[in-house]
Amino acid sequence: MTKLETSPYATVMDDSQLTGRPIVVPGAGPYGGDLEIAEPLVTGGKTWAQVDRDICLHAEEFPTRKWWLAFGVALAFLSLLVFALITLFYVGMGVAGVNQPVGWGSFIINFVFWIGIGHAGTLISAVLYLFRQQWRTGINRAAEAMTLFAVVCAGIFPVIHLGRAWFAYWLIPYPNARGPLWVNFNSPLAWDIFAISTYGLVSLTFWYLGLLPDLATVRDRATHPWRKALYNAMCFGWNGSHRAWRHYESAYMVLAALATPLVFSVHTIVSFDFATSVIPGWHTTIFPPYFVIGAIFSGFAMVITLMTFMRGYFGLKNYVTLNHMEDMAKVLMFTGMLVGFAYSTEFFMAWYSGNAWEGFIFKNRAFGPYWWAYTIMFTCNAIIPQLFWFKPLRRNTWVLFAVSILVNVGMWFERYVIVVTSLHRDFLPSSWGMYALTFWDYAILLGSFGLFFTLFLLFVRFLPVVAISEVKGVMDPKVARAGRDRPPIVPALQEVRS
Amino acid sequence: MTPTSTAGVFGDFYEPDEALGAAEKVRAAGWTQFDFLTPFPIHGLEQAMGQKRSWIPWATGVLAVFGIAFAQAMQNYVMVWDWPMNFGGKPHASWPAFIPITFEAMVFCAALGTALIAIIAGKKDTVTQPPASAANGATVDRFVLWIAATDPKWNADEATRFVRELGADHVRLVDSEGGTHA
Repeated sequence: MTKLETSPYATVMDDSQLTGRPIVVPGAGPYGGDLEIAEPLVTGGKTWAQVDRDICLHAEEFPTRKWWLAFGVALAFLSLLVFALITLFYVGMGVAGVNQPVGWGSFIINFVFWIGIGHAGTLISAVLYLFRQQWRTGINRAAEAMTLFAVVCAGIFPVIHLGRAWFAYWLIPYPNARGPLWVNFNSPLAWDIFAISTYGLVSLTFWYLGLLPDLATVRDRATHPWRKALYNAMCFGWNGSHRAWRHYESAYMVLAALATPLVFSVHTIVSFDFATSVIPGWHTTIFPPYFVIGAIFSGFAMVITLMTFMRGYFGLKNYVTLNHMEDMAKVLMFTGMLVGFAYSTEFFMAWYSGNAWEGFIFKNRAFGPYWWAYTIMFTCNAIIPQLFWFKPLRRNTWVLFAVSILVNVGMWFERYVIVVTSLHRDFLPSSWGMYALTFWDYAILLGSFGLFFTLFLLFVRFLPVVAISEVKGVMDPKVARAGRDRPPIVPALQEVRS
Repeated sequence: MTPTSTAGVFGDFYEPDEALGAAEKVRAAGWTQFDFLTPFPIHGLEQAMGQKRSWIPWATGVLAVFGIAFAQAMQNYVMVWDWPMNFGGKPHASWPAFIPITFEAMVFCAALGTALIAIIAGKKDTVTQPPASAANGATVDRFVLWIAATDPKWNADEATRFVRELGADHVRLVDSEGGTHA
């Protein structure tokens, strides 16, 4: 049996003492070299019992005025969505901006945008889990919830794009009285139905499986018998049995291994909607990786946006530390560079292929009537994340927040550029045209944010926003154990740093 | 059976290391109907308790094969047999076009089925569990050893003494109503 290695140094640190660099103890290493100790993932010398209290409390208290305010604003935007959708169904597709030649407009842009946002949650929970990145524990629960709600938002758009949304169930292949008339399984649009619904349901399962032990924690803290009974039913009577943990851990690993290729497949299939067409600017083999990396990029930006809010608002600064934020900034910069690389590759291939249509469409993208959209896209996605080469900027939450918002804007415009600029000038100059969003397009876009934030605020109101059992697993038992007073923050910490 | 028969004994440990050490001793002493109730999974505890690897991945494999078979059967039935249509002279059984849905169906069946089976297996593949009303702090910060009264070696006094000797704190007998007494 091997004993857990716990360091004698500074596993208790305050948030302000974090530097993002390991603590170096000269000469203390196993072969006489330097010993490098990672900074703790949870700061403030928390005990396991305190973790429960810190994370469950806001779901147990009566909501604050700030929560109601935020919820009210979100509900207002959600009503805007409902109003706009009723108008769309009642009046017809004419209220939206789509027309010839731009027949795919804001609905498809918003669909790809939201599905992209929905990629970071499962990436954080599955891919970072397989790579044993323990810092994921602080952010994975909220990121997975974000994924689910983003998929819900995304799911609206293909349905309303159909024009006759009330026939959306025709997309599902089932023996029917219409022939039976089946969907065409050779079509990427039919693949999309399977990809999105599978992704939504598997993400939900993965998220809920992670929630089980935490729901048991909430149950054991509950005082009202109804609340206890409700949470007990929700966690299937989880009692922490290690014989159950054994299967649970195995299933969690299996789900992570299944979800990882799933994340990559979903946006790949979304990109097939474009790439299997014959439109210049869409018909390229780079689309699947380009879409996947863009999705991860935009998803991480949204996680940063939400986390900067949540760690302040819910007092999670000890669980989502500056080190977590810095790690996310690094991922954001890396994926941002990949996105920039994809933009450049597209241009190179347009020139190198010698295809006149392809060459024209890319010149038109960057310098045609939609040059401003291309400029916003390129600046926000490829240039602004370069700020994160500098450590002080990676650790500044104001900078992180601003950059994450800009990246979200840039990624919306990336989809705008892909959809609109490829369609508005095709093979025949006589059928060229322009596209503009109408009031109702904007209303549905803003309303979808209302839906997203309504769901997210309900999530933070009723469920633990941090994966309690996973966070407990990465804490130092010597510090976090029961039956001991909270140890003081190590005052001599600076002395052991070299 | 009297309404308040003894269900087993609890003993608290405060650190994962202590639980690991205790698990090996419990197993070496010949107890079989025992379990640890912990707030998070402890690496190596299943080996220390003498458990084999979980069989869950095998179930996943079977479910994945089912998903593949289902998707292939559905697509070939529709596109080749029930409603064959000519798309640009391509073959009806155009298998490359069936790959994405086959993959998605595999993941769908495997993931949802695995989660469901794991939850059920966690309920079934266990020793007799303590009564649900016996709150024990195992979802907070205790690593609680549980020895059930269904163990063939069971003797309340001996079990209590044994758990105390392991160094467990707060050793208490649990009755079938969930009540505890030291």
